[in-house]
Amino acid sequence: MTSLQPDGVDEVRQIEAQAAPARFARGWHCLGLTRDLGDGKPHSINAFGGKLVVFRGADGKLNVLDAYCRHMGGDLSDGEVKGNEIACPFHDWRWGGDGRCKQVPYSRRVPKLARTATWPTMEQDGMLFVWNDPEKKAPPADVTIPTIEGVGTDKWTDWHWYTTVVETNCREIIDNIVDMAHFFYIHGGLPTGFKNIFEGHVATQYYKSEARPDLGSGEGAAILGTTSVASYYGPSFMIDELTYHYEHGDQSTVLLNCHYPIDENSFVLQYGITVEKSDAVPEDLAMQMAVALGDFVKMGFEQDVAIWRRKARIDNPLLCEEDGPVYQVRRWYEQFYVDAADVTPDMVDRFEFEIDTTRPREAWMKEVEDNLANNRLPRLVGLTT
Amino acid sequence: MTVRPDVRLADAPMRPVGCGSCGAQVLVRKSSWEQTSVQWNRDAMLTCVERRRGRGQFTLCANLRSSIEAAVRDGELAIVDDPS
Repeated sequence: MTSLQPDGVDEVRQIEAQAAPARFARGWHCLGLTRDLGDGKPHSINAFGGKLVVFRGADGKLNVLDAYCRHMGGDLSDGEVKGNEIACPFHDWRWGGDGRCKQVPYSRRVPKLARTATWPTMEQDGMLFVWNDPEKKAPPADVTIPTIEGVGTDKWTDWHWYTTVVETNCREIIDNIVDMAHFFYIHGGLPTGFKNIFEGHVATQYYKSEARPDLGSGEGAAILGTTSVASYYGPSFMIDELTYHYEHGDQSTVLLNCHYPIDENSFVLQYGITVEKSDAVPEDLAMQMAVALGDFVKMGFEQDVAIWRRKARIDNPLLCEEDGPVYQVRRWYEQFYVDAADVTPDMVDRFEFEIDTTRPREAWMKEVEDNLANNRLPRLVGLTT
Repeated sequence: MTVRPDVRLADAPMRPVGCGSCGAQVLVRKSSWEQTSVQWNRDAMLTCVERRRGRGQFTLCANLRSSIEAAVRDGELAIVDDPS
């Protein structure tokens, strides 16, 4: 069958995509929890296209160095912490947290240029952060990760933490912050309000959702809906103040969603959950809740990963009016991939985008009602039923 | 790597709107009564009184919102045609 159309009408839209950038974003990246990384042993981390060694010296300072010894290339993360230094397993060369070789035990002196790459570190709220900057400049004082109120006190649980490797470029996870509709189709949410604000190095998503009646009732008290305020502080670290609404009241939680690039085609995704304790929700119950919510969030990320694994990289997404500001969030994200001097006002100027959820809700409620009428569960990607 | 402009702006670009309260000039696009995009620049940020007064997260300038709605009512800002 052939179709005869006027010129242009049957033109095919092509997906366009450049290769993922070979450089890695400037900014603070969380490498993990200090309770894991700060135990006095060397830890090996594949990040920013190379390999790092993380170790806490006897002085208590957490250090991050390039893992490969400048002497003969030994892997320092297989070495041993000796005093404040990391000793190479190959010939015992000792490297300090400042990147300088402090000692070569079998030599009279340390050679010139015995300096290796280091990353500035920060310990905060139980996490280790490193500052990555291809220009190797110090982190500016006004580009910080805010401390999380309450965390670390006995009013909130310890972090329930999860780490996984995702085999795609990390732009995909950044796009998620503007993607309202995927919450319905991928995560079984029912968005009722959605707004983004980008300003400076911060990108925020304001999201409200209701529970979907066609998802069936799980165990325990039914969740009526959620209110979420989630901000990326820089290119990789998101703090999500996530409130679950129950008939008996609200439950406050904090969800961290952070990642660091392994290379341009993979990243380590980490998330942490902490739950506020109260008279009604004592320690045990709060921790159980953190674990249960963690399982739920894990399922959510697995659903995203199922899409990312199969999708095409696309620089020219074709958007409808009910989609979020995909191009603008990428413009915001671009500031982390250019030299600091080349950041343009449009990357950092404030931009607000509020989605009209009227039409999506009509369509989605109809789908929900159809599912209920046919006694059918929604098909959600990445979940086996 | 340069980021492309939003494909939705090709037929309906953002339009300037001034705040009736402080005079801050922003660019606005509305695809429906409920949907709003607002592009600020440095001058507008320095001009907006609510912004300067705001502490912590500044989510909305109520005066600017009123001015945008007034611009729509007065026919100065068209809502992008929705064919459906």
